[in-house]
Amino acid sequence: MEINLKEYFMLIKKRWWLIVLVVSVCTLLTTLYSRSNYVPIYQASTKLIVNKTSEQGQLGKEQIDFGAIGVNMSLINTYKEIIKTPAIMDKVVQRNPDLHVTTDQLISIVNVTNLNETQVMSVVVRHLSHERAVRIANAVSDVIQTEIPNIMKVDNITILNRAKVQDNPTPVNQKSNQYIILSFVGSLAATIGIILLLDALDDTLKTDEDIREIFELAPLAYVPKMKSSLLYAKRKRKVKNREEELAYAKTIY
Amino acid sequence: MRRPSTNTSHAVMTPILPNSMALEAYRSLRFNIECSVFGRDAKTISITSSSRGEGKTTTAVHLAVAYAQIGKKVLLLDADLRNPSIHFVFDMENRRGLTNYLEGQATRHEIVRETIVDHLSFISGGPLTQNPSGLLASQRMDTLLAELSEEYDVIIVDTPSLLTISDAKIMATKCDGVLLIIEHGQLKRNVAKKVKEELALANAKLIGVVLNEVTNHPANAYL
Repeated sequence: MEINLKEYFMLIKKRWWLIVLVVSVCTLLTTLYSRSNYVPIYQASTKLIVNKTSEQGQLGKEQIDFGAIGVNMSLINTYKEIIKTPAIMDKVVQRNPDLHVTTDQLISIVNVTNLNETQVMSVVVRHLSHERAVRIANAVSDVIQTEIPNIMKVDNITILNRAKVQDNPTPVNQKSNQYIILSFVGSLAATIGIILLLDALDDTLKTDEDIREIFELAPLAYVPKMKSSLLYAKRKRKVKNREEELAYAKTIY
Repeated sequence: MRRPSTNTSHAVMTPILPNSMALEAYRSLRFNIECSVFGRDAKTISITSSSRGEGKTTTAVHLAVAYAQIGKKVLLLDADLRNPSIHFVFDMENRRGLTNYLEGQATRHEIVRETIVDHLSFISGGPLTQNPSGLLASQRMDTLLAELSEEYDVIIVDTPSLLTISDAKIMATKCDGVLLIIEHGQLKRNVAKKVKEELALANAKLIGVVLNEVTNHPANAYL
Protein backbone atom coordinates (compact mmCIF):
# COMPACT_ATOMS: atom_id res chain seq x y z
CA MET A 1 0.00 0.00 0.00
CA GLU A 2 1.25 3.38 -0.94
CA ILE A 3 1.94 5.57 2.04
CA ASN A 4 0.66 9.00 1.30
CA LEU A 5 1.80 11.24 4.13
CA LYS A 6 -0.05 14.24 2.82
CA GLU A 7 -3.29 12.28 2.78
CA TYR A 8 -2.75 11.17 6.36
CA PHE A 9 -1.97 14.71 7.36
CA MET A 10 -5.23 15.93 5.83
CA LEU A 11 -7.16 13.22 7.67
CA ILE A 12 -5.61 14.21 10.96
CA LYS A 13 -6.19 17.87 10.25
CA LYS A 14 -9.82 17.16 9.55
CA ARG A 15 -10.33 15.67 13.00
CA TRP A 16 -7.94 17.89 14.93
CA TRP A 17 -10.67 18.63 17.48
CA LEU A 18 -10.83 14.95 18.39
CA ILE A 19 -7.10 14.89 19.02
CA VAL A 20 -7.20 18.07 21.10
CA LEU A 21 -10.11 16.71 23.12
CA VAL A 22 -8.74 13.24 23.84
CA VAL A 23 -5.18 14.39 24.52
CA SER A 24 -6.21 17.20 26.84
CA VAL A 25 -8.63 14.98 28.77
CA CYS A 26 -6.03 12.21 29.17
CA THR A 27 -3.27 14.60 30.18
CA LEU A 28 -5.53 16.42 32.61
CA LEU A 29 -6.69 13.18 34.25
CA THR A 30 -3.13 11.90 34.56
CA THR A 31 -2.03 15.22 36.03
CA LEU A 32 -4.80 15.11 38.62
CA TYR A 33 -4.08 11.48 39.38
CA SER A 34 -0.34 11.89 39.82
CA ARG A 35 -0.77 15.06 41.89
CA SER A 36 -3.30 13.46 44.24
CA ASN A 37 -1.32 10.25 44.61
CA TYR A 38 1.99 11.94 45.29
CA VAL A 39 3.51 10.84 48.59
CA PRO A 40 6.84 12.35 49.54
CA ILE A 41 9.53 9.97 50.78
CA TYR A 42 12.25 11.23 53.08
CA GLN A 43 15.73 9.94 53.52
CA ALA A 44 18.09 10.01 56.47
CA SER A 45 21.61 8.68 56.61
CA THR A 46 24.39 8.09 59.09
CA LYS A 47 28.01 7.39 58.39
CA LEU A 48 30.14 4.82 60.21
CA ILE A 49 33.82 4.14 59.95
CA VAL A 50 35.16 0.63 60.31
CA ASN A 51 38.65 0.11 61.52
CA LYS A 52 40.38 -3.05 62.69
CA THR A 53 42.04 -2.80 66.07
CA SER A 54 45.33 -1.08 65.43
CA GLU A 55 48.41 -2.80 66.75
CA GLN A 56 50.99 -1.25 68.95
CA GLY A 57 54.15 -0.55 67.00
CA GLN A 58 57.69 -1.13 68.20
CA LEU A 59 57.96 2.43 69.37
CA GLY A 60 54.73 2.20 71.27
CA LYS A 61 52.96 4.31 68.65
CA GLU A 62 49.91 3.22 66.83
CA GLN A 63 50.76 2.43 63.31
CA ILE A 64 48.57 2.37 60.36
CA ASP A 65 48.50 -1.05 58.85
CA PHE A 66 47.97 -0.33 55.18
CA GLY A 67 47.11 -3.95 54.51
CA ALA A 68 44.37 -3.68 57.11
CA ILE A 69 42.67 -0.92 55.11
CA GLY A 70 41.98 -3.34 52.28
CA VAL A 71 40.78 -5.91 54.77
CA ASN A 72 38.44 -3.39 56.31
CA MET A 73 37.04 -2.44 52.93
CA SER A 74 36.18 -5.99 52.18
CA LEU A 75 34.80 -6.35 55.68
CA ILE A 76 32.31 -3.62 54.91
CA ASN A 77 30.89 -5.76 52.12
CA THR A 78 30.35 -8.48 54.68
CA TYR A 79 28.75 -6.03 57.08
CA LYS A 80 26.42 -4.81 54.42
CA GLU A 81 24.94 -8.27 54.24
CA ILE A 82 25.01 -8.91 57.98
CA ILE A 83 23.21 -5.67 58.76
CA LYS A 84 20.40 -6.62 56.46
CA THR A 85 19.74 -9.86 58.33
CA PRO A 86 17.45 -10.41 61.32
CA ALA A 87 20.55 -10.85 63.46
CA ILE A 88 20.89 -7.09 63.61
CA MET A 89 17.41 -5.95 62.73
CA ASP A 90 15.72 -8.03 65.42
CA LYS A 91 17.77 -6.23 68.00
CA VAL A 92 16.85 -2.86 66.54
CA VAL A 93 13.22 -3.77 66.86
CA GLN A 94 13.66 -5.08 70.41
CA ARG A 95 15.52 -2.06 71.63
CA ASN A 96 13.31 0.50 69.95
CA PRO A 97 9.73 -0.64 70.46
CA ASP A 98 8.59 2.97 69.98
CA LEU A 99 9.49 2.82 66.29
CA HIS A 100 6.62 0.40 65.61
CA VAL A 101 8.37 -1.35 62.75
CA THR A 102 8.83 -5.02 62.04
CA THR A 103 12.09 -6.69 61.11
CA ASP A 104 10.99 -7.24 57.54
CA GLN A 105 9.99 -3.62 57.12
CA LEU A 106 13.35 -2.53 58.45
CA ILE A 107 15.20 -4.78 56.07
CA SER A 108 13.33 -3.29 53.17
CA ILE A 109 13.80 0.37 54.08
CA VAL A 110 17.40 0.25 55.29
CA ASN A 111 20.20 0.36 52.78
CA VAL A 112 23.87 0.07 53.54
CA THR A 113 26.37 1.45 51.09
CA ASN A 114 30.10 1.44 50.85
CA LEU A 115 31.37 4.93 50.20
CA ASN A 116 33.85 5.08 47.34
CA GLU A 117 36.25 2.34 48.33
CA THR A 118 36.83 3.76 51.77
CA GLN A 119 36.41 2.40 55.24
CA VAL A 120 33.34 4.53 55.62
CA MET A 121 29.92 3.01 55.18
CA SER A 122 26.62 4.75 55.14
CA VAL A 123 23.27 3.60 56.53
CA VAL A 124 20.51 5.09 54.48
CA VAL A 125 16.89 4.91 55.60
CA ARG A 126 13.91 5.91 53.51
CA HIS A 127 10.58 6.53 55.14
CA LEU A 128 7.39 8.48 54.56
CA SER A 129 8.14 10.47 57.68
CA HIS A 130 11.36 12.41 57.87
CA GLU A 131 11.47 12.29 61.65
CA ARG A 132 11.07 8.54 61.81
CA ALA A 133 13.63 8.03 59.05
CA VAL A 134 16.12 9.91 61.21
CA ARG A 135 15.27 7.89 64.30
CA ILE A 136 15.49 4.57 62.51
CA ALA A 137 18.84 5.50 60.95
CA ASN A 138 20.25 6.41 64.32
CA ALA A 139 18.81 3.33 66.01
CA VAL A 140 20.24 1.03 63.36
CA SER A 141 23.63 2.70 63.59
CA ASP A 142 23.67 2.28 67.37
CA VAL A 143 22.87 -1.40 67.13
CA ILE A 144 25.53 -1.88 64.45
CA GLN A 145 28.07 -0.22 66.64
CA THR A 146 27.32 -2.54 69.57
CA GLU A 147 26.49 -5.77 67.78
CA ILE A 148 29.05 -6.05 64.97
CA PRO A 149 31.98 -6.40 67.37
CA ASN A 150 30.18 -9.36 68.98
CA ILE A 151 29.72 -11.05 65.68
CA MET A 152 32.93 -10.14 63.86
CA LYS A 153 35.35 -9.47 66.68
CA VAL A 154 36.07 -6.01 65.33
CA ASP A 155 35.88 -3.53 68.09
CA ASN A 156 36.33 -0.29 66.21
CA ILE A 157 33.17 0.88 64.61
CA THR A 158 32.70 4.57 65.13
CA ILE A 159 29.69 6.63 64.21
CA LEU A 160 30.96 9.54 62.17
CA ASN A 161 27.79 11.48 61.98
CA ARG A 162 24.32 10.85 63.16
CA ALA A 163 21.21 11.70 61.25
CA LYS A 164 19.62 14.96 62.28
CA VAL A 165 16.06 16.11 62.06
CA GLN A 166 15.92 18.96 59.58
CA ASP A 167 13.45 21.79 59.69
CA ASN A 168 12.52 21.64 56.03
CA PRO A 169 13.38 18.20 54.79
CA THR A 170 13.34 17.72 51.04
CA PRO A 171 11.73 14.55 49.81
CA VAL A 172 13.99 12.30 47.76
CA ASN A 173 11.31 11.56 45.21
CA GLN A 174 10.50 14.69 43.24
CA LYS A 175 7.05 15.28 41.87
CA SER A 176 7.61 13.70 38.51
CA ASN A 177 6.01 14.70 35.22
CA GLN A 178 6.97 11.37 33.74
CA TYR A 179 3.46 9.91 33.70
CA ILE A 180 1.96 13.12 32.40
CA ILE A 181 4.37 13.19 29.46
CA LEU A 182 3.76 9.49 28.88
CA SER A 183 0.03 10.04 28.92
CA PHE A 184 0.31 12.96 26.51
CA VAL A 185 2.42 11.06 24.02
CA GLY A 186 0.41 7.86 24.46
CA SER A 187 -2.98 9.47 23.96
CA LEU A 188 -1.71 11.45 20.97
CA ALA A 189 -0.45 8.31 19.31
CA ALA A 190 -3.61 6.38 20.17
CA THR A 191 -5.91 9.09 18.80
CA ILE A 192 -3.99 9.36 15.56
CA GLY A 193 -4.15 5.58 15.32
CA ILE A 194 -7.90 5.60 15.88
CA ILE A 195 -8.39 8.31 13.25
CA LEU A 196 -6.41 6.32 10.71
CA LEU A 197 -8.34 3.19 11.66
CA LEU A 198 -11.67 4.98 11.30
CA ASP A 199 -10.61 6.11 7.86
CA ALA A 200 -9.61 2.58 6.92
CA LEU A 201 -13.00 1.29 8.07
CA ASP A 202 -14.88 4.11 6.33
CA ASP A 203 -16.29 2.66 3.13
CA THR A 204 -18.36 5.63 2.04
CA LEU A 205 -18.09 7.01 -1.46
CA LYS A 206 -15.68 9.88 -1.68
CA THR A 207 -13.67 9.89 -4.86
CA ASP A 208 -14.72 9.62 -8.47
CA GLU A 209 -12.94 6.25 -8.57
CA ASP A 210 -15.34 4.99 -5.88
CA ILE A 211 -18.33 6.16 -7.89
CA ARG A 212 -17.03 4.84 -11.18
CA GLU A 213 -16.45 1.48 -9.53
CA ILE A 214 -20.06 1.15 -8.31
CA PHE A 215 -22.11 2.99 -10.94
CA GLU A 216 -19.79 2.53 -13.92
CA LEU A 217 -20.19 6.26 -14.53
CA ALA A 218 -17.97 9.21 -13.76
CA PRO A 219 -19.59 11.86 -11.59
CA LEU A 220 -21.23 14.53 -13.71
CA ALA A 221 -20.45 17.29 -11.25
CA TYR A 222 -18.76 18.02 -7.99
CA VAL A 223 -20.75 20.52 -6.01
CA PRO A 224 -18.58 22.15 -3.39
CA LYS A 225 -19.80 22.63 0.14
CA MET A 226 -21.68 25.88 0.24
CA LYS A 227 -21.31 28.57 2.81
CA SER A 228 -23.14 27.39 5.87
CA SER A 229 -24.66 30.84 6.44
CA LEU A 230 -26.68 30.55 3.24
CA LEU A 231 -27.86 27.08 4.05
CA TYR A 232 -28.61 27.99 7.61
CA ALA A 233 -30.89 30.83 6.63
CA LYS A 234 -32.68 28.45 4.31
CA ARG A 235 -33.09 25.66 6.82
CA LYS A 236 -34.36 27.86 9.60
CA ARG A 237 -36.92 29.25 7.25
CA LYS A 238 -37.94 25.82 6.07
CA VAL A 239 -38.60 24.48 9.54
CA LYS A 240 -40.66 27.49 10.46
CA ASN A 241 -42.71 27.22 7.32
CA ARG A 242 -43.24 23.51 7.63
CA GLU A 243 -45.10 23.99 10.86
CA GLU A 244 -47.35 26.52 9.21
CA GLU A 245 -47.85 24.17 6.31
CA LEU A 246 -48.94 21.35 8.62
CA ALA A 247 -51.40 23.63 10.35
CA TYR A 248 -52.70 24.58 6.95
CA ALA A 249 -53.02 20.95 5.92
CA LYS A 250 -55.00 20.18 9.04
CA THR A 251 -57.57 22.83 8.23
CA ILE A 252 -58.15 21.22 4.84
CA TYR A 253 -58.64 17.65 5.99
CA MET B 1 -52.66 30.49 6.39
CA ARG B 2 -50.72 32.88 4.21
CA ARG B 3 -47.01 33.41 4.55
CA PRO B 4 -45.68 36.93 4.52
CA SER B 5 -44.02 37.27 1.14
CA THR B 6 -42.27 40.58 1.33
CA ASN B 7 -38.53 40.10 1.51
CA THR B 8 -36.24 38.24 -0.84
CA SER B 9 -34.01 36.33 1.53
CA HIS B 10 -30.92 34.24 0.90
CA ALA B 11 -33.12 31.29 0.13
CA VAL B 12 -34.55 33.06 -2.89
CA MET B 13 -31.34 34.74 -3.90
CA THR B 14 -29.20 31.62 -3.78
CA PRO B 15 -30.25 30.29 -7.20
CA ILE B 16 -29.36 33.53 -8.95
CA LEU B 17 -26.14 34.48 -7.21
CA PRO B 18 -23.90 34.88 -10.27
CA ASN B 19 -20.41 34.06 -9.05
CA SER B 20 -20.72 31.28 -6.57
CA MET B 21 -18.51 28.21 -6.81
CA ALA B 22 -21.56 26.01 -6.38
CA LEU B 23 -23.39 27.68 -9.24
CA GLU B 24 -20.44 27.12 -11.52
CA ALA B 25 -20.63 23.46 -10.57
CA TYR B 26 -24.33 23.37 -11.52
CA ARG B 27 -23.55 25.02 -14.86
CA SER B 28 -20.98 22.36 -15.55
CA LEU B 29 -23.51 19.74 -14.46
CA ARG B 30 -25.97 21.09 -17.04
CA PHE B 31 -23.31 20.97 -19.71
CA ASN B 32 -22.28 17.45 -18.73
CA ILE B 33 -25.87 16.22 -18.83
CA GLU B 34 -26.24 17.62 -22.34
CA CYS B 35 -23.06 15.85 -23.36
CA SER B 36 -23.78 12.55 -21.67
CA VAL B 37 -27.25 12.09 -23.18
CA PHE B 38 -26.00 12.79 -26.69
CA GLY B 39 -28.30 11.71 -29.45
CA ARG B 40 -31.05 10.87 -27.01
CA ASP B 41 -33.66 13.32 -25.91
CA ALA B 42 -33.58 13.60 -22.16
CA LYS B 43 -36.35 16.05 -21.53
CA THR B 44 -37.56 14.82 -18.19
CA ILE B 45 -34.90 14.42 -15.57
CA SER B 46 -35.82 13.06 -12.17
CA ILE B 47 -33.58 13.89 -9.27
CA THR B 48 -33.19 11.57 -6.31
CA SER B 49 -30.75 10.36 -3.70
CA SER B 50 -30.40 7.39 -1.39
CA SER B 51 -31.46 9.14 1.78
CA ARG B 52 -32.75 12.41 3.13
CA GLY B 53 -30.81 15.63 3.14
CA GLU B 54 -28.27 14.87 0.46
CA GLY B 55 -29.24 17.93 -1.57
CA LYS B 56 -31.95 16.82 -3.99
CA THR B 57 -34.07 19.95 -3.83
CA THR B 58 -31.07 22.27 -3.96
CA THR B 59 -29.74 20.47 -7.00
CA ALA B 60 -33.15 20.46 -8.69
CA VAL B 61 -33.56 24.21 -8.25
CA HIS B 62 -30.03 25.09 -9.30
CA LEU B 63 -30.05 22.81 -12.30
CA ALA B 64 -33.39 24.27 -13.43
CA VAL B 65 -32.02 27.79 -13.05
CA ALA B 66 -28.87 26.79 -14.94
CA TYR B 67 -31.01 25.56 -17.84
CA ALA B 68 -33.19 28.66 -17.73
CA GLN B 69 -30.09 30.84 -17.92
CA ILE B 70 -29.26 29.51 -21.37
CA GLY B 71 -32.73 30.38 -22.58
CA LYS B 72 -34.33 26.94 -22.41
CA LYS B 73 -37.93 26.72 -21.34
CA VAL B 74 -37.68 24.88 -18.04
CA LEU B 75 -40.33 23.40 -15.78
CA LEU B 76 -39.50 22.51 -12.24
CA LEU B 77 -41.87 19.90 -10.81
CA ASP B 78 -41.98 19.15 -7.11
CA ALA B 79 -42.95 15.48 -6.97
CA ASP B 80 -41.96 15.10 -3.33
CA LEU B 81 -45.59 14.94 -2.27
CA ARG B 82 -44.85 13.92 1.31
CA ASN B 83 -42.57 16.83 2.03
CA PRO B 84 -42.85 19.44 -0.72
CA SER B 85 -40.33 22.23 -0.25
CA ILE B 86 -39.38 23.93 -3.52
CA HIS B 87 -42.07 26.57 -3.08
CA PHE B 88 -40.11 27.90 -0.07
CA VAL B 89 -37.17 28.59 -2.34
CA PHE B 90 -39.33 30.77 -4.61
CA ASP B 91 -41.19 32.25 -1.69
CA MET B 92 -44.54 30.90 -2.86
CA GLU B 93 -47.48 29.23 -1.16
CA ASN B 94 -48.39 25.60 -1.78
CA ARG B 95 -52.17 25.68 -1.83
CA ARG B 96 -52.49 24.56 -5.40
CA GLY B 97 -50.09 22.06 -6.89
CA LEU B 98 -49.46 18.63 -8.32
CA THR B 99 -51.80 16.77 -5.95
CA ASN B 100 -54.71 19.00 -6.96
CA TYR B 101 -54.14 18.14 -10.60
CA LEU B 102 -53.71 14.41 -9.93
CA GLU B 103 -56.89 14.32 -7.87
CA GLY B 104 -58.72 16.10 -10.65
CA GLN B 105 -59.32 19.30 -8.71
CA ALA B 106 -57.33 21.56 -11.01
CA THR B 107 -56.25 21.80 -14.62
CA ARG B 108 -52.70 21.90 -15.83
CA HIS B 109 -52.80 25.62 -16.51
CA GLU B 110 -54.00 26.32 -13.01
CA ILE B 111 -51.00 24.68 -11.34
CA VAL B 112 -48.14 25.94 -13.52
CA ARG B 113 -46.66 29.14 -12.13
CA GLU B 114 -44.02 31.53 -13.37
CA THR B 115 -41.05 32.27 -11.14
CA ILE B 116 -38.80 35.28 -10.68
CA VAL B 117 -36.30 33.53 -12.97
CA ASP B 118 -36.92 34.03 -16.69
CA HIS B 119 -37.96 30.94 -18.66
CA LEU B 120 -38.45 28.97 -15.43
CA SER B 121 -41.91 27.68 -14.59
CA PHE B 122 -42.79 25.77 -11.51
CA ILE B 123 -45.37 23.29 -10.22
CA SER B 124 -45.45 22.92 -6.46
CA GLY B 125 -46.27 19.70 -4.66
CA GLY B 126 -49.67 20.80 -3.51
CA PRO B 127 -51.51 20.00 -0.27
CA LEU B 128 -50.59 16.76 1.48
CA THR B 129 -52.59 13.76 0.33
CA GLN B 130 -53.40 10.27 1.56
CA ASN B 131 -51.94 8.27 -1.29
CA PRO B 132 -48.92 9.95 -2.89
CA SER B 133 -47.50 6.81 -4.50
CA GLY B 134 -50.79 5.92 -6.08
CA LEU B 135 -51.25 9.41 -7.46
CA LEU B 136 -47.75 9.46 -8.96
CA ALA B 137 -48.28 6.08 -10.59
CA SER B 138 -51.64 7.13 -12.06
CA GLN B 139 -52.49 7.59 -15.72
CA ARG B 140 -53.03 11.28 -15.09
CA MET B 141 -49.37 11.67 -14.19
CA ASP B 142 -48.34 10.16 -17.52
CA THR B 143 -50.69 12.53 -19.31
CA LEU B 144 -49.31 15.50 -17.45
CA LEU B 145 -45.69 14.60 -18.24
CA ALA B 146 -46.54 14.00 -21.89
CA GLU B 147 -48.28 17.38 -22.20
CA LEU B 148 -45.52 19.20 -20.34
CA SER B 149 -42.73 17.71 -22.42
CA GLU B 150 -44.39 19.09 -25.55
CA GLU B 151 -44.51 22.55 -24.07
CA TYR B 152 -41.13 22.74 -22.31
CA ASP B 153 -37.54 22.04 -23.30
CA VAL B 154 -36.51 20.54 -19.99
CA ILE B 155 -38.50 19.18 -17.05
CA ILE B 156 -36.69 18.76 -13.77
CA VAL B 157 -38.52 16.55 -11.28
CA ASP B 158 -37.63 16.68 -7.59
CA THR B 159 -38.49 13.37 -5.90
CA PRO B 160 -38.17 11.88 -2.41
CA SER B 161 -35.25 9.69 -1.46
CA LEU B 162 -34.98 6.38 -3.25
CA LEU B 163 -34.55 3.76 -0.55
CA THR B 164 -37.29 4.75 1.88
CA ILE B 165 -40.41 4.96 -0.30
CA SER B 166 -41.34 3.93 -3.80
CA ASP B 167 -42.27 7.42 -5.08
CA ALA B 168 -38.82 8.11 -6.48
CA LYS B 169 -38.74 4.80 -8.35
CA ILE B 170 -42.15 5.49 -9.86
CA MET B 171 -40.97 8.87 -11.09
CA ALA B 172 -37.68 7.40 -12.28
CA THR B 173 -39.53 5.03 -14.61
CA LYS B 174 -41.67 7.84 -15.97
CA CYS B 175 -38.74 10.14 -16.67
CA ASP B 176 -36.13 9.93 -19.41
CA GLY B 177 -33.29 9.85 -16.95
CA VAL B 178 -32.39 9.86 -13.29
CA LEU B 179 -29.80 12.05 -11.67
CA LEU B 180 -28.49 10.57 -8.44
CA ILE B 181 -27.25 12.93 -5.76
CA ILE B 182 -24.60 11.54 -3.44
CA GLU B 183 -23.36 13.45 -0.47
CA HIS B 184 -19.60 13.27 -0.27
CA GLY B 185 -18.50 10.72 2.32
CA GLN B 186 -22.03 9.82 3.45
CA LEU B 187 -23.12 6.97 1.19
CA LYS B 188 -21.80 3.57 2.13
CA ARG B 189 -20.60 1.23 -0.57
CA ASN B 190 -23.22 -1.47 0.01
CA VAL B 191 -26.03 1.11 0.12
CA ALA B 192 -24.78 2.52 -3.17
CA LYS B 193 -24.95 -0.96 -4.69
CA LYS B 194 -28.51 -1.31 -3.40
CA VAL B 195 -29.43 2.02 -5.01
CA LYS B 196 -28.00 0.86 -8.30
CA GLU B 197 -29.97 -2.39 -8.09
CA GLU B 198 -33.19 -0.55 -7.28
CA LEU B 199 -32.74 1.70 -10.30
CA ALA B 200 -31.97 -1.29 -12.50
CA LEU B 201 -35.10 -3.11 -11.21
CA ALA B 202 -37.22 -0.04 -12.00
CA ASN B 203 -35.62 -0.04 -15.45
CA ALA B 204 -34.62 3.57 -14.94
CA LYS B 205 -31.86 5.20 -16.93
CA LEU B 206 -29.17 6.62 -14.68
CA ILE B 207 -27.83 9.71 -16.42
CA GLY B 208 -25.17 10.33 -13.85
CA VAL B 209 -24.10 10.97 -10.32
CA VAL B 210 -23.62 14.31 -8.63
CA LEU B 211 -21.15 14.35 -5.78
CA ASN B 212 -22.48 16.91 -3.35
CA GLU B 213 -20.93 18.81 -0.46
CA VAL B 214 -17.43 18.08 -1.66
CA THR B 215 -14.70 19.46 0.54
CA ASN B 216 -11.10 19.87 -0.57
CA HIS B 217 -11.80 18.94 -4.13
CA PRO B 218 -8.93 19.91 -6.42
CA ALA B 219 -11.37 21.54 -8.84
CA ASN B 220 -12.15 24.14 -6.18
CA ALA B 221 -8.83 25.73 -6.89
CA TYR B 222 -9.90 26.73 -10.39
CA LEU B 223 -13.18 28.31 -9.44
